[in-house]
Amino acid sequence: MTKIEEVKAKVEAGKSKLVPGLVQEALDAGNSAQDILDAMVDSMGVVGEKFSKGDIFVPEMLIAAKAMSKGVDVLKPHLAGDGSSKLGTCVIGTVAGDLHDIGKNLVSLMIESAGFDMVDLGVDVPADTFVQAIKDNKNVKLVACSGLLTSTMPAMREAVATIKASGLTGFKVIVGGAPVTPEYAEEIGADGFAPDAGTAAVKAKELATA
Amino acid sequence: MLTKRQNLAEVMKGGNPDRFVKQYEAFSMIMNTPITRIKPQIGGEIVNEWGITIRWPEGQLGAFPVHDAEHIVIKDITKWRDYVKAPSVECSEEAWAPAIAAAKAVDRKDQYVTVFVAPGIFEMTHYLMSMEEALMAYYEEPEAMHELIDYIVEFELKLAKEFIDHLHPDAVFHHDDWGSQISSFISPDMFKEFFEPAYKKIYGYYKDNGVELIIHHSDSYAANLVPSMIEMGIDIWQGVMTTNHVPELIEQYGGKITFMGDIDSGVIDFPGWTRENIAEKVETACRRCGKLYFIPGASQGLNVSSFPGVYEATDEEIDRMTKEIF
Repeated sequence: MTKIEEVKAKVEAGKSKLVPGLVQEALDAGNSAQDILDAMVDSMGVVGEKFSKGDIFVPEMLIAAKAMSKGVDVLKPHLAGDGSSKLGTCVIGTVAGDLHDIGKNLVSLMIESAGFDMVDLGVDVPADTFVQAIKDNKNVKLVACSGLLTSTMPAMREAVATIKASGLTGFKVIVGGAPVTPEYAEEIGADGFAPDAGTAAVKAKELATA
Repeated sequence: MLTKRQNLAEVMKGGNPDRFVKQYEAFSMIMNTPITRIKPQIGGEIVNEWGITIRWPEGQLGAFPVHDAEHIVIKDITKWRDYVKAPSVECSEEAWAPAIAAAKAVDRKDQYVTVFVAPGIFEMTHYLMSMEEALMAYYEEPEAMHELIDYIVEFELKLAKEFIDHLHPDAVFHHDDWGSQISSFISPDMFKEFFEPAYKKIYGYYKDNGVELIIHHSDSYAANLVPSMIEMGIDIWQGVMTTNHVPELIEQYGGKITFMGDIDSGVIDFPGWTRENIAEKVETACRRCGKLYFIPGASQGLNVSSFPGVYEATDEEIDRMTKEIF
């Protein structure tokens, strides 16, 4: 097994104490930082797919994301340019009136692991705050709106409508959360929908590179 | 006509109920015990008896524990003993008097005197340290998590003793949410390792001391945890959501456990709710789940609704289905 393969395997297994050392060994063996990063992104793709299929659960996904994050810390000084992600920036938040953050945090972790820089606005985010964040941050390619409650679906509709009406361009809007269906996402004008955190990462990549 | 209690017993044993059980009708909840879940008023904030800060912001359907650096209780799971101190369960007889009176007033031939316990063990771990930290700790610090769970079990056993000594309950209604709407939070194997033995102790203690029924609330997906629920001694899983494919669960496990729900609160209980929508959801549940091992009801974890009138309308629609099906 090559060093890069070892990194991939240990990220997938969520071994956050082992990954930094292995990443260093992979660098020492002459692998480029970008190749190692790409390998870890691939691992998280596998993790996301397994989560979507129900083969693994939230703890396994969390420890894998933590392992990757520890690996990225080692890579950062070696990455070319300003270290910003090649897929761009994703602004994420739970819509106004909704305080649920666990699902949103999982989606954020997985989208970050797919190669985005994240701007997490937290929970109970007014529509205008999403717009302001798009203005305030560079290279925004994706805006992700989360909502868990049936009663906050109107706030999700408002968030998407406000973002779309802002006149700002260059990004796509993805929505998700327990009551959200693909039909509802389409009805409110979102560009994409994901039923879970694993699928969200795949969809995010697809939207940002379309 | 059977009493509410007799009717429920018939449903659970696969006998001859004479009507659908209407949601919580067979349980007389004793909510005025001196030791109970402490929640803030809407718009308020409290620090509960475990030191957990809980807020209920205006406009929200429930209260949330606060987990920023300042408020989180367990700052390092390996040193949890430095941060966690279980509250005392000792209360004066005077403090118990209202609950004792409430239990005495119940006609036990008609209803089960039911005590209420919340939050549960899984919830308590993530109330104390946040969901993400708790879930990772099951992998990264399993020994510490086992110790913390054992400590919470010890508390729950003391609480159970107080309930049994003072109220002689017939049933326990115990909350612990184990999943999202589409998945359990943890794998069945992890659940079996950490939670099955813990609940087996607690529910076993209640049953060894005269408690007839264990009702467990988890308004989530948890179909993959049903074998563990049966092993723990749960008689009724309340809050079973439609995502669990309840008719299939009844087919597979009926006789070992009864399912209460199949009507998701989120789809009937909202501002602008309608009678027609409730009627449709109740009818679907009653027709597909049938008369045995099933109690129709909203997934909400108490005999209330978030919006006025929904609980009562649901009861009335269950009555209508009784007339049509029985």
